Amino acid sequence: MDFQPTLPIPISFISGRYLLFSIDAVTYLRREHNTCGVLIGTLPQIPQQNVFLGLPLELMPEEARLLVDKGVACIVDEAKAQKDGMQSLLEEDRRQYLRELESQGLQAARIVAGRKEQQKEDYFKKSLEKKGKKKPNVQSKETSNGDPTASPTGPSTANDEPASLGDFFAGDSSSSRGTSNSTPNPQHTYGVTPTTSYPPLPHPSASSDAILSRPDVPLSYPLFAHMHTRGYFLSPGLRFGCQYVAYPGDPLRFHSHFLVVSAEWDQDINLMDIIIGGRLGTGVKKGFLLGGPQKEKPEDGSEIERTESVRTFSIEWAGM
Amino acid sequence: MPSTQTAAPSTEPSALTKLIETVSASGNPVEATTIQILHNLQQQHLWTNMQLHHISAPETSPETPAVPVLISGVPPHRVYTHPDEQLYMLEKGIREDDLRPERLFVIPTAQNQSWSLRRMASAFDAMSGIEFVEDKESLPEVDVEMTKKLDQYYEKREEAIATKEWGSTRMLLAMVDKNMGGDGTVVYYVVQEGEVKPRQN
Repeated sequence: MDFQPTLPIPISFISGRYLLFSIDAVTYLRREHNTCGVLIGTLPQIPQQNVFLGLPLELMPEEARLLVDKGVACIVDEAKAQKDGMQSLLEEDRRQYLRELESQGLQAARIVAGRKEQQKEDYFKKSLEKKGKKKPNVQSKETSNGDPTASPTGPSTANDEPASLGDFFAGDSSSSRGTSNSTPNPQHTYGVTPTTSYPPLPHPSASSDAILSRPDVPLSYPLFAHMHTRGYFLSPGLRFGCQYVAYPGDPLRFHSHFLVVSAEWDQDINLMDIIIGGRLGTGVKKGFLLGGPQKEKPEDGSEIERTESVRTFSIEWAGM
Repeated sequence: MPSTQTAAPSTEPSALTKLIETVSASGNPVEATTIQILHNLQQQHLWTNMQLHHISAPETSPETPAVPVLISGVPPHRVYTHPDEQLYMLEKGIREDDLRPERLFVIPTAQNQSWSLRRMASAFDAMSGIEFVEDKESLPEVDVEMTKKLDQYYEKREEAIATKEWGSTRMLLAMVDKNMGGDGTVVYYVVQEGEVKPRQN
C-alpha cells in the first residue's frame, strides 16, 4: 500500500507523450503528489472500448514538468534507454531474469490452483449440506464448467472476489484448467508479462544520457502549478471546454470545484467568454476560475516567479 | 396618449436614453454604460442607496484607469451567500432576510468591451481602496433571542472575513448588451478574488 518507489520516477517520453507504466509509480504519484494523469491503455483485441482503461498512464506536459521541477520524476527518452539498456544487458542477466519470470508464473499458477481446490471443497461441502444425497454427478458437472461463483450456490461472499479473480486468470488457458483442477501443484505456469522494463534494465539515473530536459509547457502552466500547490487535483478540461478541471481532493472522492481557464495578464479576454464560462460552470455546480500570472514568461523558461505571481478570480452566475 | 401627434411616436427616445442624455453631458460611452447599469439595478432589481465611485488613475501611469467608475448599492435581498456561511446560518436558524442588507460593488461593462485580467484585478484593487459607511438602519424589529443569534453571526462573520473562509472580496460583474440591435439586457456575475468554492445550487 505505502510503496515508496525509487526517486526520481522515470517518466517515459514516447512519441511526444509522457507515459507511466509502473502501477506503483502511478499510485504513489496519486497518493503523494496529487497527480492523476489519464489512463490510456486499452485491450489489443478491442482497441475501441474506452470504458475500462488501464496502464499506461499519460501525463499532461504540465504534470510531467511539475514532477520534474519537484525532483520527484525525470523524463526518459524511452527508445534510447531501451536500446542502450538491451545492448548492455549480459546473457547471464537475461537468463536470470527469465528464470525469475518463470518462477513468478509458477507461483501465480500455484495460488490459482490452490484457490480452485479450496473452492471445490467449499462447494462440495455446501451442496452436501444442502441437498443431502443425489449430488455427485451434478457437482462434477458444474465444477468442470469452470465458474462455480456464477451459480447461486457458489462459495461464501467473503471469498467471492479473489475467487472470481482466480477464475479470470484460469480462463486464460483452457489447458491449465484440467491440471489445476486435479492438483494444487500444477505443471503449467502462467506467462507473466511485466509492464515495466526496469527490473532487467538498470533504473535510469540522473547522469544517464537518455534523460531529457524538463518538458515544454503551455502558457497556462503557472496557473496549473498555483492550483496544484493549493492542493487541487487537476485533470484535462476538454469535457467542460476549459483548460483544467480542479478537484479539491482525489477525483474519486470529490466533485470538482472549478473549470479553470488561464490567461496572460494583458491578454484580451472577450467578456462573452467570462459569461459563457460562468454560466456553464454554474450550470454544472462548479465555479469558473479565471487566472494567470502577472509576469511575462522569462527567457530562460523558469516558471517559479510566474507561478508566485498568479492571481485568480472565481466567477459564478449571480442569478439575477 | 397625450396629443403630441406632431412628433412621430416611433422616434420618441426611451426613458433610459433621456436619462443618459440628461445625466451624462460628456457623451462618454463608458459613462453611458454606467448609467444604464445603474438604472437597471435601481429599476429592475430595486437596489437602493446607489453610489458611483470614480476611480482616479494611479499617479505612476499616465493612462486612464482600466475601470474608471464602480457602482455600489444595497440589494433588497442577498445576492451571494457562501456555502459555509449558508451552513452556519442554517445551523443557527438564521434566514437571509433577518440580516442587515449589505452594500455590494458592481463593475459596469458592455459587451465587446476590451477586458483582461489586469483590468479585473485593477477593479478589485480600486474597490479595496474605497471607503464607505455601512448604513446600519432599517433592521426589522426582532426578539431578544434573534438579536443574540445575529450578534453571534456578525462576530463570526468578522472572523470569516479575516480568514476568508466565507469567500474573499466579491463584486458583481455587470455586462450590458449594447450591440446593434441589442436589447439592453444586463447580466450579472459574482466575481471573487482567489479560489472560492462554488455554491451548491
